[in-house]
Amino acid sequence: MVQDKLLKIHNLHKSYGDLDIFKGLSLAMDRGDRLVIIGPSGGGKSTLLRIVMGLEDITGGDVYLDGKPYILRDGGKTKIDHKLQARVGMVFQHYTLFPHLDILRNLTLAPVKTRGIPRAEAKAMALLERFGLAAKARAYPSQLSGGQKQRVAIARALMLDPDLLLFDEVTSALDPELVAEVEAVMMELADHGMPMMIVTHDMHFARNIASRVVFAAGGVVVEDGPPEQVLDNPQVARTREFVERVFARKK
Amino acid sequence: MGYELQFFYVWQNLDKLGQGLLVSLELTGLANLIGLTAGFAIALMLRARMPVLRLPATALVELFRCTPVLIQVVWFFYCVPILFNLFVDPMVMGVLALGLNLAAFNAEGYRAAIQSVPREQYDACAALGLGGWSRVRHVVLPHALRAALPVLMTNGITIFQQSALVALVAIPDLMYEGKMLATETYRPIETYTVVAAIYFAISAPISLIVQRIEARFDRVQA
Amino acid sequence: MHFDPTIPFKYWDALLIGLGTSLRLTLICLAIGIALGFVTSQARRSRLMPVRAVAIFYVELFRGTPVLIQLFWIFYCLPMLIGAEPGNFISAVLSLSLYAGAITSETFRAALKSIPREQYDTCRALGITGLRLAIWVVLPQALLRAIPTLLSNAVALFKESALISAVGMADLMFIGSSIANRTGRPVEMLTAIAIIYFTVAFPLTRIVGRVETRILRRLAV
Repeated sequence: MVQDKLLKIHNLHKSYGDLDIFKGLSLAMDRGDRLVIIGPSGGGKSTLLRIVMGLEDITGGDVYLDGKPYILRDGGKTKIDHKLQARVGMVFQHYTLFPHLDILRNLTLAPVKTRGIPRAEAKAMALLERFGLAAKARAYPSQLSGGQKQRVAIARALMLDPDLLLFDEVTSALDPELVAEVEAVMMELADHGMPMMIVTHDMHFARNIASRVVFAAGGVVVEDGPPEQVLDNPQVARTREFVERVFARKK
Repeated sequence: MGYELQFFYVWQNLDKLGQGLLVSLELTGLANLIGLTAGFAIALMLRARMPVLRLPATALVELFRCTPVLIQVVWFFYCVPILFNLFVDPMVMGVLALGLNLAAFNAEGYRAAIQSVPREQYDACAALGLGGWSRVRHVVLPHALRAALPVLMTNGITIFQQSALVALVAIPDLMYEGKMLATETYRPIETYTVVAAIYFAISAPISLIVQRIEARFDRVQA
Repeated sequence: MHFDPTIPFKYWDALLIGLGTSLRLTLICLAIGIALGFVTSQARRSRLMPVRAVAIFYVELFRGTPVLIQLFWIFYCLPMLIGAEPGNFISAVLSLSLYAGAITSETFRAALKSIPREQYDTCRALGITGLRLAIWVVLPQALLRAIPTLLSNAVALFKESALISAVGMADLMFIGSSIANRTGRPVEMLTAIAIIYFTVAFPLTRIVGRVETRILRRLAV
C-alpha cells in the first residue's frame, strides 16, 4: 500500500482583489521532508505557510493532510477541517508569545485549556530543559532575549505534538548573533525527523536543513528538488537568475 | 406617571438659551485663547533646565490637574477678589479659571508632543547644520503641533463642557439659563434635554473631527 | 482681613466625613463604571447593528455633554419620568456610574485595539479560539493595558464627584463650601478643600506613570 503524502497542495489559487498570489500552485511533501521555500519577496511565501496553517482564505484548489481533505473551497467559502488543523503547528517571525503569561504557562495554555492534556507541565519542563531554557520557566517573555523567545515559541508549538511544523522567517527579526541558537534548535528537530516547512532568507541555513528546496515565483512552483540541485545547479533559468542574484548580494 | 412632554415653553424661551449659549461660547473661546498660548509657554517652562522656571510651571500644572474644576472656579470667584482686592466682572474670573485649567492640560499635551519628536530628527538637524531657533521653528514645532492637535482639540471641547460649572457661580451661561428656565416653567425634563442636546450638538462634530484626525495619524504612522 | 490657616482645622471632622462620602461614591461608581464600560466596549464590537448603535449613542452622549447636566437630568427629570424618588445617593451613584461607564468603555476599546493581530493568529495556530481566546488571552492583556488609564479615570471621577455638591449631597465640596459660607472664611476653607482633593489625587497621578512604564515593559514582547 502506498502511503499518502503528509501534505498535498493541489492547484492552489489565492488572490487579494486584482492581485493574484497563487495561480494554481501544487506541492506535496512526505513525512521525512524538510521543505525550504525560497522565492522573491512579495511572492507569497509567508502566505503559503499561513494558508497551510489555516489562517487565510483561499480562492481555489485544495489541501490534503495525510490524504484527507483539509482545506477546500465549498459554496464560495473556504472550508477548514479543524481536527486536521490541530495537527499543524506554526512559529512566527515576531515570536508572538503571550506577554501576560510566564514561559511555562505560555507552553501549557493551549494544551491545558483546549485539549485537557494531562501532565502538560511536566512535558513543558522537559521541552524547556531540552532547549536549555529550564531556568527561564518562571520568567516573563519581556525578560528574554529574542533568541530565547523564539526557542520558547518553538517549544510552545511542539507542546501539541504537531505532525507538521511551519516556520515563517523565524530568524528575520533576530540580531545576527542570536540566529545560531534558534537554527540549532531547528537542526535538532530535523535530526529527530520532524517534518517542517520553512520560509527563510538564509541560504546557508536552507542548504543545511533542507531535504528539498522549493523555488516559488509568479504564483507557482518553478523548481523543486534537493538543495544541491536548486541552490547550486538550478535546472530552470528563472531559478538560476534568482539564486545567482541572492548569492551575489551575499558576497 | 403619564408625564406629558411640552416643549412649548422651551421654544418660547429659546432666545434666552441662545444668549446663554453665546456666553458659554465666549467663555470657551477666551479660555482656549489662554489655554493654547499659556499652555505652550508652560510646556516650554516644564522642559526648562532652570528650576526657577520649571518648578512654578510644574506646581501650576499639577494643582490644576489634581483638583476639581468646580473648586477652581469657586476659588477664583470667591477668593481672588478677597486675596488681591480685585473686584472685576465675574466673566473675567470664569475665563481665568477655565483658561488656566485648560493651559495646564494643554501644557501636558504640548510637552508629550514635543517629547514625541524622534531623536533622529534632532540628529538630522545637527547633520544639516540646523540649530537653535531655526530647528525649533522648522522641525520641532511643526511636528509637535501636529502631534498635539488631537489632544488640544479634545481639551478645548472638554473645557466647553466644563464651562457649564460657571452656572454655579451665577454667570449667565447656557447651563445657568437652562436652570432658570427649568425652575420658572416647571419643565425640567424638556429644558434640560434641550440644553443637553445643544451641548452635544456642538461637542459631537468636533470630537468626530478629532477621531478622523487621529485615524489619519494612525494610518500615516503604520 | 488676615489669613488664618488654623480655621479649617477646627472643622477637620466634618471635612473628613465629606471626604469619606466623596471617596465612597468614587469607588462605588468606579466599580460599576468598569463593569459597565467593559460590557459597552464589547457591545460596540457586536455584530448586531442595533446593539452597536445603542452603545455608541450612550458613550457619545455621556462624553459629549457636561457632567453637571447629566447630574441635573438624573436628579430632577428621572424621578418625574419614572414617578418615583430614587433618593439622592442612588441618583448620584447612577449619574456618576453612567459617566464612568462611558469613559471606561473608551479605555477598554483602546486597550483591545492595542493587542497585536499576531496574537490572534498565534491562538488560531494553537487551536485557542472563541471564548477561550477571549478569557485567557484577550481579556488579561486588555485589562493589563487598561490599568493605567483606569487609574486616570479613577482620578477624573474623584474630581468630577465634587459636582454632586451642586445637588445638595454632603460631599467634601459641599461641606467645605457650607462651612466657608457660614464662617465667612472662603479663602481658608476653599483653599483647604482644594488641598485635600489635591492630596488624594496627586499621588494617584504619580502612580499612573509608574504603573504604565512597568506594564509597558512587561508587555513589550
